Amino acid sequence: MQNGEFEPKLVGFLCRWCSYTGADFAGISRLQYPPNLVPIRVMCSGRVDPTFVVKALAEGADGVLIAGCHPGDCHYQEGNFRAFRRYPLLLKMLEQFGIEPERVRLEWISAAEGEKFARVVSELTETVRALGPLDWKGRTAPREDGVQQGKREVANV
Amino acid sequence: MSEKIGVYLCHCGTNISQTVDIAEVARFAETLPNVAVVREYKYMCSNPGQEMIKKDIRELGLDRVVVSSCSPLLHEETFRAACDDAGLNRFLFQMSNVREQCSWVHSDRKKATEKAKKLVAAAVMRVAKHEPLEVRKVPVRNETLIIGGGIAGIEAALKIAESGKKVYLVERDSTIGGHMAKFDKTFPTLDCAACILTPKMVQVADHPNVELYTYSEVEEVSGYVGNFKVKVRKRPRYVDVVKCTACGECVEVCPIEFKNEFDENMSTRKAIFRAFPQAVPNAFLIDKKGKAPCRAECPAGVHAQGYIALIAQRRYADAFDLIMSDLPLPSVCGRVCYHPCEERCERGSLDEPVAINTLKRFASDWAAENGVEPAPRKRTKEGKVAVVGGGPAGLACANELSKRGYAVTVFEANEKPGGMLRYAIPEYRLPASVLDRDIERLEKLGIEIRTSSPVDDPEALLREGYGGVFLALGAQKSSSMGIEGEDKEGVMGMLEFLRAAKEKKLTCIGWKVAVVGGGNSAMDAARTAVRLGAESVQVLYRRSRAEMPAHDWEVEEAEREGVLFKFLVSPVAVLGDGKAEKVKCVRMRLGEPDESGRRRPEPIEGSEFTLDADLIVMAIGQQTDIAGGMEKLKRSKWGTIEADPVTLETNLKGVFAGGDAVTGAATVVEAFAAGKRAAESLDRYLSGKDLREGRDKEIPVAPSPSTEGVKKEPRVREPVIPSIDRVGGFREITGTIAEEDAVREALRCLRCGGCSECMECVKKCEPEAIIHDQLEETVEIEVGTIIVATGYRLFDSSRIPQYGYGRFPDVYNGLEFERLCHAGGPTGGKILTSKGEKPEAIAILHCVGSRDENYLDYCSRVCCMYSLKFAHLAKEKTGAKVYNFYIDIRAFGKGYEEFYKRLLNEDIYFIRGKASEVTAVPEYPEEEGKLVVVCEDTLLGINRRVPVDMVILSAGMEPAEGADELTRMLSLSCTYGGFFMEKHPKLAPVDTPTDGIFLAGACQGPKDIPDAVSQGAAAAAGALSLMDKGVFVLEPVTADRVEELCSGCKVCIANCPYSAIEFDAEKNVSVVVKELCKGCGTCVASCPSGAAFQENFADDQIVNEIEGILLAAKGA
Repeated sequence: MQNGEFEPKLVGFLCRWCSYTGADFAGISRLQYPPNLVPIRVMCSGRVDPTFVVKALAEGADGVLIAGCHPGDCHYQEGNFRAFRRYPLLLKMLEQFGIEPERVRLEWISAAEGEKFARVVSELTETVRALGPLDWKGRTAPREDGVQQGKREVANV
Repeated sequence: MSEKIGVYLCHCGTNISQTVDIAEVARFAETLPNVAVVREYKYMCSNPGQEMIKKDIRELGLDRVVVSSCSPLLHEETFRAACDDAGLNRFLFQMSNVREQCSWVHSDRKKATEKAKKLVAAAVMRVAKHEPLEVRKVPVRNETLIIGGGIAGIEAALKIAESGKKVYLVERDSTIGGHMAKFDKTFPTLDCAACILTPKMVQVADHPNVELYTYSEVEEVSGYVGNFKVKVRKRPRYVDVVKCTACGECVEVCPIEFKNEFDENMSTRKAIFRAFPQAVPNAFLIDKKGKAPCRAECPAGVHAQGYIALIAQRRYADAFDLIMSDLPLPSVCGRVCYHPCEERCERGSLDEPVAINTLKRFASDWAAENGVEPAPRKRTKEGKVAVVGGGPAGLACANELSKRGYAVTVFEANEKPGGMLRYAIPEYRLPASVLDRDIERLEKLGIEIRTSSPVDDPEALLREGYGGVFLALGAQKSSSMGIEGEDKEGVMGMLEFLRAAKEKKLTCIGWKVAVVGGGNSAMDAARTAVRLGAESVQVLYRRSRAEMPAHDWEVEEAEREGVLFKFLVSPVAVLGDGKAEKVKCVRMRLGEPDESGRRRPEPIEGSEFTLDADLIVMAIGQQTDIAGGMEKLKRSKWGTIEADPVTLETNLKGVFAGGDAVTGAATVVEAFAAGKRAAESLDRYLSGKDLREGRDKEIPVAPSPSTEGVKKEPRVREPVIPSIDRVGGFREITGTIAEEDAVREALRCLRCGGCSECMECVKKCEPEAIIHDQLEETVEIEVGTIIVATGYRLFDSSRIPQYGYGRFPDVYNGLEFERLCHAGGPTGGKILTSKGEKPEAIAILHCVGSRDENYLDYCSRVCCMYSLKFAHLAKEKTGAKVYNFYIDIRAFGKGYEEFYKRLLNEDIYFIRGKASEVTAVPEYPEEEGKLVVVCEDTLLGINRRVPVDMVILSAGMEPAEGADELTRMLSLSCTYGGFFMEKHPKLAPVDTPTDGIFLAGACQGPKDIPDAVSQGAAAAAGALSLMDKGVFVLEPVTADRVEELCSGCKVCIANCPYSAIEFDAEKNVSVVVKELCKGCGTCVASCPSGAAFQENFADDQIVNEIEGILLAAKGA
């Protein structure tokens, strides 16, 4: 943020079979996208515990990407459907914390969709850049009326 | 314990170092917790690089290693092995991907370096939490499944089979060979495709280690590398491949023709066919879409489409023979059947149903007129069967059993056989002469009918030496109304009335007739009364017209003949002084619906009235009237005989019963059906087979056929005598249609079933190879490896409308032109236009669909070369002027460029430019009657119009149909255009990301024959190396539980896609079955108490990774 431009910090949870391979494919194809997102490899998008997302946001991330195989293509049959079912609940919870749901995105990216991976990362970077820094501490700090919100150590896994 | 972590940063030549400042990352890494040493090197994956790591492990006592280089999908194994070598558990290693996911995708050096730091920090933090793990080894089975029997699949199969391992080769088509079998010549050598392919096809089929499943599809794949479980669906060929000698006799008699797909629909084939003479397996098959709906709807399962097809071919005797094998009394059935088949006839959705029953009557009457008898029957079976009752059910049973080679005796209580057909169906619908004719024919076929022979005790027949007995006693008593005065003279049961009328025992002296009831027999009674000269005939029915069970046309005919109807009326008493004079009735209203769904009639109080009637016919149903002596038979509460609905067994062993006596009064065709069912049971009973097994398992009903291009045409009408001429007597109302009408009507059939099941092939087939009732079968196999070789399909040229494919008959696609050149093709190898003339000029358009951003982005790789081949063949065979319209000539293979050069000297024109249009609109006189190819010649820079007689579209390749389903089944990925994705584009071209599954041929991308064969062999080598090793090492990524933390909530059990978690009720905890767990970790994410964990993807490892990223971010 030295030049005044805000650079969002993004964490990506990529399933090992489709989306991580898709990200590799973007690399092999030398597609260019913003360097804001740092990937974490998981075996399946179904492995992504919502607390990981909360942990990332609490530790300073401004946005999170969860990416898995397309519905029906899951290497583990239906792990991605589990991720799909948890996602709206997670968003609902984040909204209650006062966090914009646009910061957390779930996408289906196949091993061949290097271009899609690059596009999604670019879009998410721009979306979060427009939203500005997350400021987890500030948002979850006690309110002036004395009511505390988000005080609980949500991310202490 | 404090860890000692070594961090190794790879430059990857300049791949990483030109974007990432490695020295900066190294300085940063040194500041990370527990890092003992940081080193950088040009190529970490090289031997010196690995040695560097090993040395540090040994000398510095490192207990964790991080390598920052390329994707772990590429080199994770390399570095793990290095750790192993140096005595460090291979899972105390973590890799960070700074090439594929950093240096290659970012150009801002500063930002890329920052990201690399985050990646390294994440890996360092993560590896600190790693635990030593043991790998799991699974055995690899010695069998391979190959999906697709084209040249790539054949090559792979032969290679593996030769090594002594078992191969299951599954092919969707009826023959192996794939597209190559359709080709005439192959480029660039111009050797004949069949000459080089067919020996391989035979070799693979004959190989003792190859099990061939043609006409089959892989339906389900489960398991994992080394132990795949595969379900293969074998579609029925309806011909026994082993017995079939491929003599082809069946083809000549088959009446059904379809377009020949093997000739790209440019010729026809029969419903029984083989793809081409060298097909492997060399056996015929029958194209059956399913059971024709007409046959499916017929209670007796009559092969209606079959006799229709034969009538269409004017083979009336054959048609009659087929009907006789289904029905005992064809002329009778052709007159009285209520033909449910016609209601289901698919033609009805276009215009009107085919007049199926009318055609049956035509064939039967034609046979009678021309003295044609059905094929004589031989007695081939030992047993003797007694049938009690000579009505339709009894005769159907006798006919079926005699067809199957049994001796049958029918015992009939009356003076003449025929049952209700003789005594209850009025003469105007069914003349007695017709019935006699049909029954006599049965006698001629060897069925013995003993009339005036009532049977009291069926078991006595068994004692007399009959192997089995079928009771078809009928329902011979009219139900009575149970009202006051119904015993008066002038009140008759429907059956008694109809029988008396038939036997001419009734003379009319001006009756006023009231018929009570609304069924078909009420209509029979009313219309009979009209013919007997009744003064008036009224039908009294307690519900309304809409609820009448009688067929509409029966009611309409009755009305036309002067019958009056009184609806919502019910008789309550017959009045008169000893003799009926009046009927007292009450009016009804319709209440709530009853069990039959019809609204229940309720009397309206005080609405009584009387009407004059001196003859009252009760047509309200029939009852079984079983004579004494049958008391041992178990009966239902309605008095009918109790028989098993499937086998028709009664409580007496060896005694079966069916027809009206079991079901209550029903239709003639239902009685026929019961008789046939009983015959099947008796056949099984007498030959000691299970009575039930496989019964009623039938081939599914065919889907609706396409009516595209079918012209609407009205259905034939039977000749009918005018109603004014009917009432005076009992002349038959309808006549038989004329021969030409019959043929025209038969041609209206849409042939829903594909094969018409006319059974002509069965008659012709000496080795008895035909199995018309063969069912689909699912085979389960277990294999260690899978090779996918599903090939391609040709791009559909009609998607480019300006080229006129499908509009102009002389625009052909590549495969069509292959068939035109082929000696076995539709023209016998002559290149002829659709008018049958030799073309004077031929245009070949390259890149049709391919290299076109509107269709296929990619180059299909084979089209240039096959276009050159076509050019050569066209020139050679026709001497025509040949024009090639190309963008670039891609002659990249061995001998390809040489072939191109050869063509350049063969007087063939090459025009560089993509054709914009093929048109039939002439602009110049020389273009009259020609196809004109319009194109910009990009070398000359001019527009050209080239008039030709024939255009060949060199269409590109797309993935084969069904590739999507396979993608899902095998967890494969697809690249451009939907072709299967290999593990690595250069280094693992036949492997897939799923271990144990390999790719071969055009399913992976467009490919010519030499490349497809190479890949087949390569995939075989991949599979063999896995199987020879015999074990496969699995990643330790399975889930487990910390028992003490598990609360037994079972959430994980519902989340597991593999049902790999069981519940231990005693300990109240869930338990992971390691053998079933595939390691997705979904259960871990769902565990609310933190009891679940996943090896190498534990919560603390991932959390540390998150922290590492964000820690580095804060530092930035």
